[in-house]
Amino acid sequence: MAEKSCTYSLPIGPIHPALHEPFLFQFQIDGERIKKVDLIGGKVHRGIEWMGMRRNPIQVIYVAERICGICSCSHAFTYCRAVEDAADIDVPERAQYIRAIIAELERMHSHLLWAGVAAHEIGFDSLLYYTWRAREGVMDLLELISGNRVNYGMLMIGGVRRDLSDETLSKIKDAMDRFDPVADKLIYLFLEDKTVKLRTQDVGILSFNDAIKLCALGPTARASGVRKDVRQDQPYCAYADLEIRAITPENFDKETVGDVYDKTLVRLLEVKQSIGIIKQCVDSLPSGDLLAEPKLVKILATLKKVNNEGLGRVEAPRGELVHWVRLQESTNLRAWKARSPTYNNVLPWQPMLIGEQIADIPIVAASTDPCFSCLDRAVVTKNGKSEIITGEELHRLSLEKTRRLKKWG
Amino acid sequence: MRPIKAEELLELMTKEFGDRITDSKITKRVEGKQKRENLHLSVTVDRESFKDVVRWLADVQYPLLSVISGWDAGDRVELLYEFQLNGGVLGKGLALTLRVGLPKDSLKIETICDIIPGAQIGEREKQEMLGVRVEGTPDPRRFFLPDDFPEGVYPWRKDESGVPESMIKKLWEAK
Amino acid sequence: MAKLTKSFHRALWAFHINSGSCNGCDIEIVAALTPRYDVERFGIKLVGSPRHADVLLVTGPVTRKMAKEVRRVYEQTPDPKVVIGVGVCGMSGCVFYESYNLVGPLSEIIPVDVWVPGCPARPEAIIQGVTKAWEKLESLRGKK
Repeated sequence: MAEKSCTYSLPIGPIHPALHEPFLFQFQIDGERIKKVDLIGGKVHRGIEWMGMRRNPIQVIYVAERICGICSCSHAFTYCRAVEDAADIDVPERAQYIRAIIAELERMHSHLLWAGVAAHEIGFDSLLYYTWRAREGVMDLLELISGNRVNYGMLMIGGVRRDLSDETLSKIKDAMDRFDPVADKLIYLFLEDKTVKLRTQDVGILSFNDAIKLCALGPTARASGVRKDVRQDQPYCAYADLEIRAITPENFDKETVGDVYDKTLVRLLEVKQSIGIIKQCVDSLPSGDLLAEPKLVKILATLKKVNNEGLGRVEAPRGELVHWVRLQESTNLRAWKARSPTYNNVLPWQPMLIGEQIADIPIVAASTDPCFSCLDRAVVTKNGKSEIITGEELHRLSLEKTRRLKKWG
Repeated sequence: MRPIKAEELLELMTKEFGDRITDSKITKRVEGKQKRENLHLSVTVDRESFKDVVRWLADVQYPLLSVISGWDAGDRVELLYEFQLNGGVLGKGLALTLRVGLPKDSLKIETICDIIPGAQIGEREKQEMLGVRVEGTPDPRRFFLPDDFPEGVYPWRKDESGVPESMIKKLWEAK
Repeated sequence: MAKLTKSFHRALWAFHINSGSCNGCDIEIVAALTPRYDVERFGIKLVGSPRHADVLLVTGPVTRKMAKEVRRVYEQTPDPKVVIGVGVCGMSGCVFYESYNLVGPLSEIIPVDVWVPGCPARPEAIIQGVTKAWEKLESLRGKK
């Protein structure tokens, strides 16, 4: 008897119960296997670039900060670098180091956040809580430095807005010393645990070639063996003095596969790397000014005379972040383009998801660290009739798979 | 992989394309205590040569396409293809911008998705935001804007096809 | 703060919708659930379906594409229900005060009972907002 093949269409999203942005996946399913994926975005398109074109360069910093609440400082950082490039403003050394400290703290909290979400996706909730408790330590430091947990408001064109006192610096150092063993323990928990291994190894593979062709960025690309890191390739700010190397699974003496396990590995090793960078920056923090020009009115007046464009590149937690601005002798920005890493990491989902099981969708989709978490309300079209699967159902499928694998493993 | 220098790339490019490259500029920025230099090569090409240049570049060294930015420059729309070269080599990264000007009466450009598949979302975005028709792009649907967004309105344009005042929602207004 | 009544023995389940927010409030909502703030000890938890929820936590200034979904989720939530708008951008736009692709403020899309301002709202503020919602929910239940 000829085998009958039948594909179902399965939209997932756009609303997911826990965190992150809405995004719609349209799957073609054959049995349990994914045949085709269509990606439908734009659910959170707020027209930010258009807003920026109606505001002056300093006002735009605060819009840039609110592009994403997780990498808020990275966006402001990149935007400021783009404007500094256009207007040829040199940033004082002390400010360059403070910027790097904030950016690294942000990377730590972002990677920990991701690791927790990943643990949740495979049904390992105690690890989610452990990771997020560790993350609160980083949030406390950020709050100590900037007075805020999420949008720090630290960046300004030509420097930073707040200084780090000696007391704060010693607190940062103490915290980093305390954090080192916590990071080691997390690495042990994630990388040695049997359940995590069963669910993440050989799942959601992105090959080296696909990563290059689809312009994947950040940990997603590095887990596939692509040694790309702006901090290494075009070192900026304090990173120019630190000689940072991109982290790939080879750093862990492991063969590069490009699966979810490798992506976890890269991110956790980067948390360790960030701890090292922060310690180095605190130790060699130069003295001097915080801003190239402390009077905001003067900055605006200078920028009003500029007719040039600038490009800013920063390695955000999720990958290379690019801002491009055009200043044209006017109060407001003439043009602005912000490109977040997820923008490039959307297409690699297709090769990663095709051929995987429905139960693997949450962890694979989350593995690029998109602004994305649990999934909700999947509609399965069966013989023209619609059936609702909730995010919980999908999460349950994922948990069942973990249990099944544990039995066999 | 041997890292390629900015001057070297420009020289190779001029040798290959001659006066089809209409303008070029190398800028540098210094960073850190050691004043380490980062280079940025910016090249202007015409629309007809643009795809040849990208194809040639992919042969010399397959680049990372960072972003396609674009802006309304009055009588024309300018697209800027931002590439990154020498990825993976400490401190040798080179930023390359390919700049293409498109006259407003014929806003179209050839797709580069067959050479760099990762350009897809960038091309779709340029179609909906600037009204530039990307010929041959594999998926011409909208990505960011909703399906019921009016035709012929392009948010990044500064002329009459920009967003009309009537479409702007003022969230702060009390009702 | 008003005292909660005897119906405190009932757990409160919340469903979270992101209507175009920047993720700032969204991660703070999750942070409120994790060990530092640990609202789960009061029986407050995030659920995966609006059909199970007593409370809707809505973040963001409502984009054009999401307006329909926000309304649909509101209709799917069983009565009595309370809507909490988290973050100042749902109230008045905040930095997103004008745009071609936003249809907010949230109160023009669905009725909102409790506002938690802040950009982003702190976990403590979100917890306070939830207790306010709880009070309202109890008075709604009392009327039934």
